[in-house]
Amino acid sequence: MALRLATRRLAPLTLRRGMATTIESGKDSIPAASPITTPNRSPVSESKTSTIEDPQAGTDAKIKKFQVYRWNPDEPTSKPKMQTYTLDLNKTGPMMLDALIRIKNEVDPTLTFRRSCREGICGSCAMNIDGINTLACLCRIPTDTSKESRIYPLPHTYVVKDLVPDLTHFYKQYKSIKPYLQRDTPPPDGRENRQSKADRAKLDGLYECILCACCSTSCPSYWWNSEEYLGPAVLLQSYRWIADSRDEKTEQRKDALNNSMALYRCHTILNCSRTCPKGLNPALAIAEIKKSMAFT
Amino acid sequence: MLAQRVIHQSLRRVTASQQAFKFASPAAIATGLAFRTQRRTATATTISESSEHTKILAQQRLNRPVSPHLGIYQWQVTWIPSIMNRITGCTLSGAFYLFGTAYLIAPYAGWHLESASMAAAFAAWPFALQFATKLFFALPFTFHSLNGLRHLAWDTASMMTNPKVNSTGWVVIGASVVSAIGLALL
Amino acid sequence: MRPTLLRQALAAPSRRTFTSATSTLPAFRSQLQRHSVQRLQRAAFQTTAQRAILPPLPQRIEGSVNDPVKVHEPEPAHGSYHWSAERALSAALIPLTIAPFAAGSLNPLMDGLLIGAILIHSHMGFQSVIVDYLPKQRVTKTRKLFDYGSVLAIFVVGWGWYEFETNDVGLTEGIKRIWTAKPKSLV
Repeated sequence: MALRLATRRLAPLTLRRGMATTIESGKDSIPAASPITTPNRSPVSESKTSTIEDPQAGTDAKIKKFQVYRWNPDEPTSKPKMQTYTLDLNKTGPMMLDALIRIKNEVDPTLTFRRSCREGICGSCAMNIDGINTLACLCRIPTDTSKESRIYPLPHTYVVKDLVPDLTHFYKQYKSIKPYLQRDTPPPDGRENRQSKADRAKLDGLYECILCACCSTSCPSYWWNSEEYLGPAVLLQSYRWIADSRDEKTEQRKDALNNSMALYRCHTILNCSRTCPKGLNPALAIAEIKKSMAFT
Repeated sequence: MLAQRVIHQSLRRVTASQQAFKFASPAAIATGLAFRTQRRTATATTISESSEHTKILAQQRLNRPVSPHLGIYQWQVTWIPSIMNRITGCTLSGAFYLFGTAYLIAPYAGWHLESASMAAAFAAWPFALQFATKLFFALPFTFHSLNGLRHLAWDTASMMTNPKVNSTGWVVIGASVVSAIGLALL
Repeated sequence: MRPTLLRQALAAPSRRTFTSATSTLPAFRSQLQRHSVQRLQRAAFQTTAQRAILPPLPQRIEGSVNDPVKVHEPEPAHGSYHWSAERALSAALIPLTIAPFAAGSLNPLMDGLLIGAILIHSHMGFQSVIVDYLPKQRVTKTRKLFDYGSVLAIFVVGWGWYEFETNDVGLTEGIKRIWTAKPKSLV
């Protein structure tokens, strides 16, 4: 916050104007008309929107307030808003995803979010709950009914609708690190690429990543430079293949990261490891990449 | 579930082609035997990239808002010390740069930036102002130095678990405040 | 059997509550003066461009969704070498910083080394701030200005401190004297 204020005061006018200009998209991309709005729209606060209450609250209801980020693409010029819903916790499941599903089923069917497995293995329901990026299906609803819960989409992402972020760029970045085994030589026994137990153990804590994008969207460096910085999730995946003893393109993989932007925008802020809903350590993976590339 | 899907599929096929329904037996419809010729080929599902669809999508993308970030993210002992590290570093380096430049200009501007005259001027200040000024430089110095040690440890890929990051973060904050007050009282 | 049917059936009453909630908006608007409505609308378009440090641009996707993003050519001078040098310099600053505390003061050579190390360390720090907050593609001219400015600053500041080292008492001794300066009445 302090930094934002400082830059605001220090930034010369030319800089501000420069930031408002748009880049020319690539020649093969479709020329679209200029946008009607700026993407930098802060949501209308919950005090200026209506409250939608639980229609089926019980007699001894445990009413909790949920403030949910809403934006409807059918009204493209509208500002996002914070919509308040109240739910009777006695009639709601224990997890945040249960609350969202109950809102959608019984209160407001227009609420939009992604969900699939409801057990933390698909990564669809990644969102920012009470200030922390996590999977809604793994996040318990705080039972303290005096405090409202705030639910936002993943931070600094383009919003498709309500809680649904556009992860196209994230997936394109994932594709750029070639997330598959690269070998030129056939396996020694002609059948399969074998690996010692110790080499296999190096992949623990890396292969479990489900690409939910919680870590990447918690990283301030990724907020400011997502065009070129790959972000923790994709770098962890890159290290997963660098660390793989069967892969033969380790040096090429490192070379692809060896520039000022792709890897070295990581300033060990460590929000990524703190927020990972799967308990992985992307910051450590990035540190290992940097270490292996040091002085070479 | 399976039975449901079979019924659904056959119903859809029936509505799609009433013609076939007239001549095929219900069993053949349910198993899909009557519709062998209806299979879609791979070429039919290829989406052309220059189609109207992508144009509409590109237009929709332009109007999307960006979700809130810095303002809503929980204050954690990971990123707050990290941004403080940058701010304190810029404070110290800014002072270093300013003094270096000012010392060059001083003879022409008539400023007295010689250490002797600055020490004499500083000595004349009231204690509270002296203490505040010293703290203004001491706190960034101690914090940036101690937090820098943490960063150097992380760059060797050690001390990087969540509990350790948490505890060392608070230790650095505490130690830097205490040592800065100590330095300012010298 | 079909959950969508169920959802649609449930949607009917709740949609009514939703629209009745939003219908307060026209009433609210009619209370306002006409020009203030216009100002509100304009504010909705030009929101807070000056509030964020890096106002995000409208979303554009380069190429199709199936193309990977572009991979840079390897540039170790801005990548691994730069990073290694940065760490080595930071590590070297530890003994250089502790030495004056331990020895009371530094000889001119060590003092000069400390100043040089701080200068390059500061430059690298400022450089990373510039790279982080002034993306090349977005603010090309401003970025170039800051890049050249930061290099120029090394020479200007370096010269200034060289003058201070040669004509005055030096960095550590100077700080020590000012830091411990006491009013004459107390001495």
